[in-house]
Amino acid sequence: MKTINLLLSCTCFLFACKGKNSSTTEQTSMQADTTIRSAAIAPEMYTDLYGNWVGDNEVTERDEEKFKGQEISRLNIIIKQITDSGVIAQSIVNGNSRLMRGSVTKSNNNYEFVMNEPGDDKYDGRFEFTIAGDTLSGKWQPFDTTLATKTTAYRLVKKPFMYNASLMLPAEWDYIDWANVKEKNEMYKDDVSGATDTVVNSYYRSASEKVYTINSSKQKLTEKDVKNLRKLDLQILRNTIFARHGYTFKNRGVRQFFDQVDWYIPISDNIEKDLSLLEKENIALLTRFEKYAEDNYDTFGR
Amino acid sequence: MQFYLKQAFHLLLLLALAFFLYLMGEITLRYLPYSTTASFLQIKQTEVTSLPYYLPVFYIHVYTSIFCLLAGFTQFNSTLQSKHKKIHRTAGYGYILTVLLFSAPTGFIMGLHANGGGLAIAFFVVLAGLWWWCTYQAIAAARTKNFVAHRNWMIRSYALALSAITLRLWKVILVYFFHPAPMDLYVVIAGLGWIPNLMIAEFIIYKYKQK
Repeated sequence: MKTINLLLSCTCFLFACKGKNSSTTEQTSMQADTTIRSAAIAPEMYTDLYGNWVGDNEVTERDEEKFKGQEISRLNIIIKQITDSGVIAQSIVNGNSRLMRGSVTKSNNNYEFVMNEPGDDKYDGRFEFTIAGDTLSGKWQPFDTTLATKTTAYRLVKKPFMYNASLMLPAEWDYIDWANVKEKNEMYKDDVSGATDTVVNSYYRSASEKVYTINSSKQKLTEKDVKNLRKLDLQILRNTIFARHGYTFKNRGVRQFFDQVDWYIPISDNIEKDLSLLEKENIALLTRFEKYAEDNYDTFGR
Repeated sequence: MQFYLKQAFHLLLLLALAFFLYLMGEITLRYLPYSTTASFLQIKQTEVTSLPYYLPVFYIHVYTSIFCLLAGFTQFNSTLQSKHKKIHRTAGYGYILTVLLFSAPTGFIMGLHANGGGLAIAFFVVLAGLWWWCTYQAIAAARTKNFVAHRNWMIRSYALALSAITLRLWKVILVYFFHPAPMDLYVVIAGLGWIPNLMIAEFIIYKYKQK
């Protein structure tokens, strides 16, 4: 247990993990498949650029007043098809998996891309990037100029995705839920004047070492294993399963723990079908305990 | 003046009891309709699936124990004790039979499988055992017309019954101040839920003796 007594674990912030708009994305990916097939007649080129380009996406310009998000998030640009008639790619970041279309021009040894997301989602926008050697770098701007995020920049490298049940969160990190703060009005006594006043103290939940010692993808969890865990531990253990499968998290409270992890590659917003039986059982167990923690930990009821 | 203060204090206690009884009623209603995964059972599936007797024992405990708390409204009332003996006696037998036959034995069995490990198990098992014993002593004393002993044992018995409320109250307080891990908390409230109650009961009995 780390600095748990100070960084108090507060209550009841729900981590919703299963993507709400999975139905819309399924549609999109179906569209993608048909497009790929129908366009397959045209000869493909630059196929060595195909694949996952993964790295940090950093907000470089923003509306300071409105911006509440996370500054750096993990971005995956999947280049799927390049033909004379254009480029098809997928952007996966912040829980959104979006099909992009656009074009590429080759100058010297660089490939310059301009790619547009469909435009029917609030967070759709345009990716402009260059692939030079083994690096893909560029910027993104939303179509909707009223969004808090104005521009992001990224440098990505090619990384194949492979599910590996052994992957763990780094042990040397502290896992603190910065995305959910609980504020408490508390009395404090001024040492000089002796007067008492109230201050607003902020409390953040922090996770225990269990989040990097228990492997929820390999070890069949029992009630005994998870009984003494706080809600945040349970949430992280469950979401680590999804992260290993490359799930892209919408919820900022979840994303904050995975977006900086080396091995984490967002690959899809629907990985339900990829879960192993053991993982499904562990998810059911963890969900039960999370729900119980929420309903009962700090209330009268039990 | 002192008489009115005392009356006001008693009224306040009854109001507090009514309030907590309402909360306990809400908790009990979570187990209606019967379900193998309701509320607390969500984290007890190991016992639910491996011990055939656990669910029946659990549900008998949940459905009967709430009635034990009702005794607090009637049984310590001196008017009912002296002028309406029949009410006192009927309600008293209701309490005693519920505790001796259902609530305490089921509490004992549940205690054997309590969350939180050895110490928590010891706390719950001793609680159930003492509750049964004090209640038994109380009825035994009443049947031999030893009403002082009857009163004393009943004070102890009901103090232990109130652990249903005090245990949950301690939980809210401790979580607010210390945010302990769930099972660390559980061990503490398993003991804190009834040991101070019993001490207060002994103090009340001591005060009666001094009169």
